[in-house]
Amino acid sequence: MSAFRKSGRGMVDASKPVNFTFDGKAYQGLQGDTLASALLANGVHLTGRSFKYHRPRGIVGAGSEEPNALVAFDRGEGRVTPNVRATTLEIFDGLKAESQNRWPNLKTDIGGFNNIFSMFFPAGFYNKTFKWPASFWDKVYEPFIRNMAGLGPAPKSSDPDVYASVYGHCDVLIVGAGPAGIAAAVAAAKKDQRVILVDEQAEPGGGLLSAQNVEIDGMAAQDWLTKSLTTLRKADNVTVMLRSTAIGYYHDNFVAVNERLTDHIPSVEPGRSREKLHRIRAGKVILAQGGIERPLVFNGNDRPGVMLASAAQTYLGQYGVAVGNEVVVFTSHDSAYQAAFELADANISIAAIVDIRDKISGDLQQAVEARAIDLILGSSVSKTSGKLRINGCEVYTASSGKKQSFQCDALLMSGGWTPSLHLWSHSKGGIKWDADLAAYVPEQANENAVCVGACNGNFGIEAALNAGTKAGGGRKKFKVKEPEFGSGVVLDHLPNYIDSSKQKAFVDFQNDVTEKDIKLAVREGFKSIEHVKRYTTNGMATDQGKTSNLNALEIASKAVGKPIEKVGLTTFRPPYTPTTFGALAGYRDGELFDPTRKTAIDPWAEAQGAVFEPVGIWRRAWYFPKDGEDMHAAVARECKATRDSLGIFDASTLGKIEVVGPDATKFMNLMYSNSWTTLKPGRCRYGLMLREDGYIYDDGVVARMAEDRYHVTTTSGGAPRVYRHMEDYLQTEFQHLDVWLTSTTEQWAVIAINGPNARKLIEPFVEGIDLSKDAFPHMAVREGKICGVPTRLFRVSFTGELGFEINIPSHYGRTVWETLFEAGQSYEICPYGTETMHVLRAEKGFIIVGQDTDGTVTPHDAGMGWAVAKKKKDFVGMRSLKRSDLIADGRKHLIGLLTDDPNVVLEEGAQIVADPNQPIPMDMLGHVTSSYWSESLGRSVAMALVKDGFNRMDETLHVPMPGTTHKAKVVKPVFYDPKGERLNVV
Amino acid sequence: MLFDQAIDIPETLKGDAVSVTLMEERARYNLRIKSTDLTEFKKLTGLKLPRKINTSSAAKDVTCLCVGPDEWFVIAEAKSKAKLDKLLAKASNKFVCSVTDISHRNVGFEITGAKASRLINVGCPLDMAIEAFPVGKVTRTIFESAAILLRRTGEESFQIECWRSFGPYLRDFFVRASRDF
Repeated sequence: MSAFRKSGRGMVDASKPVNFTFDGKAYQGLQGDTLASALLANGVHLTGRSFKYHRPRGIVGAGSEEPNALVAFDRGEGRVTPNVRATTLEIFDGLKAESQNRWPNLKTDIGGFNNIFSMFFPAGFYNKTFKWPASFWDKVYEPFIRNMAGLGPAPKSSDPDVYASVYGHCDVLIVGAGPAGIAAAVAAAKKDQRVILVDEQAEPGGGLLSAQNVEIDGMAAQDWLTKSLTTLRKADNVTVMLRSTAIGYYHDNFVAVNERLTDHIPSVEPGRSREKLHRIRAGKVILAQGGIERPLVFNGNDRPGVMLASAAQTYLGQYGVAVGNEVVVFTSHDSAYQAAFELADANISIAAIVDIRDKISGDLQQAVEARAIDLILGSSVSKTSGKLRINGCEVYTASSGKKQSFQCDALLMSGGWTPSLHLWSHSKGGIKWDADLAAYVPEQANENAVCVGACNGNFGIEAALNAGTKAGGGRKKFKVKEPEFGSGVVLDHLPNYIDSSKQKAFVDFQNDVTEKDIKLAVREGFKSIEHVKRYTTNGMATDQGKTSNLNALEIASKAVGKPIEKVGLTTFRPPYTPTTFGALAGYRDGELFDPTRKTAIDPWAEAQGAVFEPVGIWRRAWYFPKDGEDMHAAVARECKATRDSLGIFDASTLGKIEVVGPDATKFMNLMYSNSWTTLKPGRCRYGLMLREDGYIYDDGVVARMAEDRYHVTTTSGGAPRVYRHMEDYLQTEFQHLDVWLTSTTEQWAVIAINGPNARKLIEPFVEGIDLSKDAFPHMAVREGKICGVPTRLFRVSFTGELGFEINIPSHYGRTVWETLFEAGQSYEICPYGTETMHVLRAEKGFIIVGQDTDGTVTPHDAGMGWAVAKKKKDFVGMRSLKRSDLIADGRKHLIGLLTDDPNVVLEEGAQIVADPNQPIPMDMLGHVTSSYWSESLGRSVAMALVKDGFNRMDETLHVPMPGTTHKAKVVKPVFYDPKGERLNVV
Repeated sequence: MLFDQAIDIPETLKGDAVSVTLMEERARYNLRIKSTDLTEFKKLTGLKLPRKINTSSAAKDVTCLCVGPDEWFVIAEAKSKAKLDKLLAKASNKFVCSVTDISHRNVGFEITGAKASRLINVGCPLDMAIEAFPVGKVTRTIFESAAILLRRTGEESFQIECWRSFGPYLRDFFVRASRDF
């Protein structure tokens, strides 16, 4: 048995020792211990170094409010979790934990020199100190600060663990399984509602777990707890989730609860989820989060061994651990007396109770006297001593000027209680100042939610049970025998004879913020509490001000000279406690991060060794390298093969929308800049879609299948937005039209066959369609069969060659492709990818929306004024095309560029200037939008958006690129077969 | 194999608690008609198109799902396709409507077992309690990043449809999540 373990107390199992290491040193704890309770049982208080000053720090609390004892929890290679609260980390055999923010070790920390020079590091010090010279910020100051400050080490390798996530629903979600939460759950369970009760601890019960001398309805508190939990476990409609923290409370009663599944288990089989994020939608939320005891802000209050009085109570009651042998209690609130009494009754020596108040109740006074404890009223602790652990303190009585010294190995403090408003605040619930409690308490709810028990400012077990029952829909009133919760006072400043500039009185232990820092911030002009928070970092980061917020507020309000309720409270933000990224990602790691859409033909391309590129969330075959070819060689070969004989291309990703209804043509006329009235069924037309602002939005070939039916194609990446754009107009502006839209992108696999032998290839497989030149002209569509399956066969070309786009139902796509590929061997058929498609279209000057246009290009700018109908009364974008700035001279136009050196391929995105000798910054005329090596032409070709481009034909412009500036001549952007003769080669 | 949905379902998805199967070939139509024409349309086609949004009707080989004020999906056995093609073409000529064949746009999964609803709740935020989502209810919703059509076919059985390229993503999600069951 360890020196500080009190046998026969607590919920730990004395028959089950647990071996663990902290900073490499072996310790033994008991089953049921947290790391904090096990260390305390071994007499260890020192657990870390502070954030800024590297001061030695120890355990302050007993739950998730712990600001100091943050450790790195090491579960092996790649599995180190930083900033885990020792107070919530359950121990198991083989557990390894390390202290943080110290080097070379916890006892001798080089960074401690920050503490010696702490007067140079006040609030906002790096905003002031490290300003000069500016160039030092990146290379010296920032790395230095980042290295010295911060808490645990960020992991460097990818997380080997897997995580889970799930949605949940219930009528009542109860957060916190203390007396209030359990009473609420028991009451709600009887109402035949779906109830979920969550608690962050491994054991439900909250304060009841350590409650001494409490009787509920004539039962010992622990017995009532056991009975109630049995009731809940038996109820089918209740789910009790332990090790589950409600980390965030979002709109419409949506609460994120992170359940830790495996961290407390010594060895876990691979593949088992470590944590699970429950995304719960609740009808009603009952918050029973309890309260957090407030530290006192006194000189030397951060020395290891100084802790919250309630924490000492918990360690004794729940874990059977004495936090020290010789304890001083320093308080401004009655509740700390109960802690002192419980310790005293467990034969722990209480050296003194120091109370700020001049007077306490007669009952308390008697109870103190009965235990022969030295009580010093009207006094405060003026300093503490001890290097890595407190060994004494000095008590100062302001009225007499008397100073007394006490030896102690622990000092318990209590500055009263703060209702835990974190989740309530996430939900935007209102709060009001309660002067009696000197704390904010919940006011009006913003959701169907209620706070019960201590988090509502109703302290005491009876109050909690009754409020919980009522919130759960019950009427029962409990009779509880318990020590009175009592009352206390709050002072903005504890009396001390030591000059305040020489004191180290910490407000926020985790962020190393002192009373002085807050006063300094106010002196420097930060009057709003939100500004004070940011300037001092009080209440920020993983701590979220659990122990510090109200003390900071008290100090700031006095410094500002405004009543506290006028200063306000800073906003609490999710997550309530630090949460792993893994929990937030859930299952969505690796392949599941986002869908990768693949076409029906994709598996064939993969088997052929295609290289893929992402297009939106599609992946498309980019090129098909042969025998170690690089991309340049593969694309040159694919281009040549297609122009010489035959190329086959998977165009399945093209967006497709079926526009059907008697008003289909009217709708098309409104959505596209072209006219559709003259398009006959069986024919296709290139369509240009504009936004309301007149700029090009999308394009694609549209086939009229029947009087009332269009087969619209869109760009691959644009399909969802075009559909949304159309549906938006249809439902808002053009409601009078009888027309409907159906996405058919995935209904059809599309195989593009291009090249002089295209017709010869498909002819033997096509039924019911006359493929002859005259019967089936360019820009026509026919329905029939190919390879025995139905097809919508388009005669279109995005390459300039004779071309067909074969639409077949998707699940036949691969078979038809393979059949045609096989037959194409006699024409040396060549599969090509998106890169070759881009080159072949650029040779013809066909634009790619989003590459050659950027959302600021009108049809006229793109040289496509022909696609804007002149006679239509209306279409989306029409009015904007008449705006003065869109018809003004000097707009950028899409033109072709031919480099003087035919071997130079310009960089896409390269800037274009008229005079390369102009001093920098030069006048930039535009940029290169598309640029490729054209195997067919034996030279490079490029397209560019250039200011006044149409009026610069044959002009030589300059394109500065790394190393050299290239000359290029402005030409029309049609480089290959300008007359379009190849469409009808055979 | 001519018809190929290209989605394999691994053995791990054939559990006792939950089992996932890929639906065979189906005829599927997106049907848009005005609600004022519904009665006459039903009379002509014999299709049991439910009037109430988010409900479905299941006949021997044809299921009709209402997903909007003027929108239905008709999902049928593949062998009924030729018959339905003709029937709907005939109706198209008579009514102001839109009939679009989407047989190959979607793939379908059948999810059955005591934990079927839990598997759905891995990615779908809707309440799957039988009272909230009774047998026959249908809705367009999401499963993580995929848009799905979800229909409850029995107390412990569901049908999920999605666009074909999202099928492998759903399958992979089911595989991962079912490991935790």
